[in-house]
Amino acid sequence: MTLNLSVLTPNRIVWDSEVEEIVLSTNSGQIGILSNHAPIATAVDIGILRIRLNDQWLTMALMGGFARIGNNEITVLVNDAEKGSDIDPQEAQQTLEIAEANVKKAEGRRQKIEANLALRRARTRVEAINPIL
Amino acid sequence: MAMVALRRFATLLISPNPTIALRSSEEPVSSGVRCISTQVVRNRMKSVKNIQKITKAMKMVAASKLRAIQTRAENSRGLWQPFTALLGDTPSVDVKKNVIVTISADKGLCGGINSTSVKISRAVHKFNSGPDKENKYVILGEKGKAQLVRDSKKGIELVVTELQKNPLNYTQVSVIADDILKNVEFDALRIVFNKFQSVVSFLPTVSTVLSPEVVEREAESGGKLGDLDLYEVEGAETKSEVLQNLTEFQFSCVMFNAVLENATSEQGARMSAMDSSSRNAGDMLDRLTLTYNRTRQASITTELIEIISGASALEG
Repeated sequence: MTLNLSVLTPNRIVWDSEVEEIVLSTNSGQIGILSNHAPIATAVDIGILRIRLNDQWLTMALMGGFARIGNNEITVLVNDAEKGSDIDPQEAQQTLEIAEANVKKAEGRRQKIEANLALRRARTRVEAINPIL
Repeated sequence: MAMVALRRFATLLISPNPTIALRSSEEPVSSGVRCISTQVVRNRMKSVKNIQKITKAMKMVAASKLRAIQTRAENSRGLWQPFTALLGDTPSVDVKKNVIVTISADKGLCGGINSTSVKISRAVHKFNSGPDKENKYVILGEKGKAQLVRDSKKGIELVVTELQKNPLNYTQVSVIADDILKNVEFDALRIVFNKFQSVVSFLPTVSTVLSPEVVEREAESGGKLGDLDLYEVEGAETKSEVLQNLTEFQFSCVMFNAVLENATSEQGARMSAMDSSSRNAGDMLDRLTLTYNRTRQASITTELIEIISGASALEG
């Protein structure tokens, strides 16, 4: 059985084709999905999505959202997604540094939460470029 | 008192003016009674020509804006569809608190886009009203507000205008969606917008987004959302928490799509409206030119006849 993955953001379709296996970071940890997976609906955390295609692993940075798995169809709906190969390493590294600085500067609850979220997003993007396999 | 007297005096001064202006415009008529004043026709032709220029320019602007926004609207459809597959779009669901989100444009001159939105919203309002039911409006866009304020001012909960001041993006729309979710209590949100089909056809559409509680209830009772129960829900402590996030995300995505579709329809409608009005101006100009030339020719002919008959009278 083939497994179809589509990654959708409000602005565009990032991925829409067959895959062999994916590893998805959900709010309760990473889950691996092979074909014929049981139907499942889950929240997707800010984290990386790993895709196995022709025995090669690709990575994608996801910025939180939802995933629906069923009938060998995976639909990932996220706020934003970027392929690891499309991210500019220098720019991502810089953003991470800025985010780290902002976390230190942040005052008040709201600011702290926002700065932490930004940091996680930046970290995910850097991770997507150099995946730890 | 002095101001009032002064104003009255001023109006007295101003009011005779139009009659003077009128008389002066009639003056050339008296010289050649058989022809209508060519000056008036010429002025009218000039103004029609100017209007045509404006409408043509507006059409061009709308066309270029349309092209930019159409691709974005089409891209945003991708996300809306899987949500409908998962959570369904159930306009017939029967709940107590309905919130109608009317999406309209900020500017006019775009055909029937805004009045269609308003009309459909009113129909949805009527359809869902009844004893112990609540209906409220949330309005996006200046024009929808102007129309709905007239008859249902009390029902309006929130108005957001000038959405299109900067180019539409998801972040902006999701902030508005968040605002609506936080400030308005609802069981079902009904989003009314014009779905873009082609430059000349727009489909008034209602998308329904249910609150997490209603989604859970419907799913458990195996009603319209029975399919959802087939899925194992994961990712947070409780199912309701996931559903809450899910519906919030769904609403902002549906809103994003609806806003883009409506903006596309607006530009399309404006384009065709401006196209037909410049065509009308052209027709009008043709007619006026014809009248103008005909009267000019007539006056020349009469003058010639007068000269010739005068000359022949002298000769004879």
